[in-house]
Amino acid sequence: MIGVAQGPLLAMHGISKRFGAVEALTDVDLEVHAHEVVALVGDNGAGKSTLAKMVAGALPPDSGLIEIDGEAVTIPTPAAAYNLGVATVFQDFALCENLDVTANLFLGREMHGALRRSDEEMERITREVLHRLASRIPSARTPLAALSAGQRQSVAIARTLIGSPRIVVLDEPTASLSVAQTAEVLTHIERLREMGLGIILISHNMTDVRAVADRIEVLRLGRNNGSFSTQRASYEEIIAAITGATRAEPPWQPSGAPLSAVG
Amino acid sequence: MSNKATAGSQSSLREANRTLVLHTVQRWGGLTQVELAAATGLSTATVSNIVREMYAAGLVDTAVTTRSGRRAQLVTLARRLGLAVGVHLGSRHLRIVLGDFGHSVIAEQSLPLPRDHRMDASLDRVALLVADMLERVGASVTDVVGVGIGVPAPVDAATGMISVGGVMRGWDDTHLGQTLAKRVGCPVAVDNEANLGALAESTLGASRNHRDSAFVLASHAIGAGLVIDGKPHRGYAGLAGEIGHVQVDPQGLICSCGNRGCLDTIVGADALLEAVRPIRGALSLRDVVLLAKEGDQGCSRLVADAGAQIGAVVANLCMVMNPEVVVVGGELAESGDVFLGPMRTAITRRMVVNRIAPLEVVPAALGTRAEVMGALLLALQAAEVPAMGDVDNEESAS
Repeated sequence: MIGVAQGPLLAMHGISKRFGAVEALTDVDLEVHAHEVVALVGDNGAGKSTLAKMVAGALPPDSGLIEIDGEAVTIPTPAAAYNLGVATVFQDFALCENLDVTANLFLGREMHGALRRSDEEMERITREVLHRLASRIPSARTPLAALSAGQRQSVAIARTLIGSPRIVVLDEPTASLSVAQTAEVLTHIERLREMGLGIILISHNMTDVRAVADRIEVLRLGRNNGSFSTQRASYEEIIAAITGATRAEPPWQPSGAPLSAVG
Repeated sequence: MSNKATAGSQSSLREANRTLVLHTVQRWGGLTQVELAAATGLSTATVSNIVREMYAAGLVDTAVTTRSGRRAQLVTLARRLGLAVGVHLGSRHLRIVLGDFGHSVIAEQSLPLPRDHRMDASLDRVALLVADMLERVGASVTDVVGVGIGVPAPVDAATGMISVGGVMRGWDDTHLGQTLAKRVGCPVAVDNEANLGALAESTLGASRNHRDSAFVLASHAIGAGLVIDGKPHRGYAGLAGEIGHVQVDPQGLICSCGNRGCLDTIVGADALLEAVRPIRGALSLRDVVLLAKEGDQGCSRLVADAGAQIGAVVANLCMVMNPEVVVVGGELAESGDVFLGPMRTAITRRMVVNRIAPLEVVPAALGTRAEVMGALLLALQAAEVPAMGDVDNEESAS
């Protein structure tokens, strides 16, 4: 149900990660509810992608608690993340050029009938998923090499929907896309939200973030530096938090956007 | 069931395939024949035959293009005389359509926009999207006769500038038409979004058979477009029908226009979403509409009350201009009778009943696309003037 006050789908508490002398994340908190787009913004090296990798099961935290649907979990591998209902699209997509759209969607989790692969069933599901996303890819049989960057992003997002996930993590989905392709991807994000998924959107583009996100979480030098409701916070407030012009003292309360307003 | 004996025959099958191909081309804008075969599930030979037939009938155009390095035949809908672009730069959405003089839409695209989006960034995106869409259908900017753009603010038709300060933050003092014309490279006509909705509905939609009608746009802000004696009425400075800025609460909040207690401060998106925030958290206007449709009690009540409040103001408008029909568009109208019912009641209760025909309150036939279709019509109309502007016509018109 939309916006019903209930526990978060994903909750991360006190997450820390250190790479040698580099403190990538220090005591970071993040919550994502169903039917919510949470944007994770920050400068280069703020720890956005590190946090995303932890949700995706690609990197374990040194300390901290991760809860999905209120239950403490560990996400040691990407397969574990998939089983927990977390799907991730990384910046480099990880798709196969020589395979067609259907094969890419089901790569590594092909459906099998009694004797052989159920190709037709997979193609049917692919068409259905592309349709649900309002995607502009005309055919599920097009090889990936023939698609534009934006269409590949569509395929990568469609891939997350195989296996009915609850949480989708998108790492810089609109980077290096044209405006028309960005329009497609932002429309996909709106559709995912309407399907009731929780979405973590990592992006540098403040216009895109403010267009589709419900809440904006700012990371700065591996720490939380502000949480803003998109409906209330101004562009300037968010930029100030990203650049460090304003510093959040825990438990901080940014002016005009109380935390209690969310969820 | 109404199909005649021919159902299932060769000819009806061919007819169905033709329709399928046509709809598919329309949906994607431009497709190569191979892609068309994959998208429709027909064989390439069938597609090739159908395309040849439709080309002969003047329904589609074909052009040579390349796909993955190979020669391919690009199929697009035929464009009669030229293309026009309709742009609806709404509060939270940008919608663009490419269309021709037959009013058929060749390509369509929408993009979510942030709150208080900036003028420079948004106009830039419009220009880039238009270029991209033209490329998609295999056209160039020289095929475009004009661009029509609708904005959520009153517009002075003569100068194409927003005529009231503060309604769109950061957009005042800009010559919208000129700025965009420079970026896209063809003439641009600007109008208010509600006026464009009225233009579209009275030309193609629910009020096309009526001389006098009002179009109410119930979206992030409330507005109305008036059609009097078959022509859109914009008023001296483009302020006609700005019902969002009619005062309904003398003690209310200060509005973006500088006045107090305007209708927008009570039923605008900001006010509505603020009202559900304590129990629901942050929702979007679309969420509220979807919830109201699903029968959620709080959201239904909110949408219904908004309908009644807007209806009270629209009733006054109707007393002043006496339309035959009130057409209601915008996101709120998407919730159907939850919204329209109370609005209809509020209007009819306040109206003097005439003996000829009761006032009708109907949903927009074009839905939330009314504004962008109006923008397309505006561009076409602006372009049509020189085409038939020979001396005789001008003299007989004056």
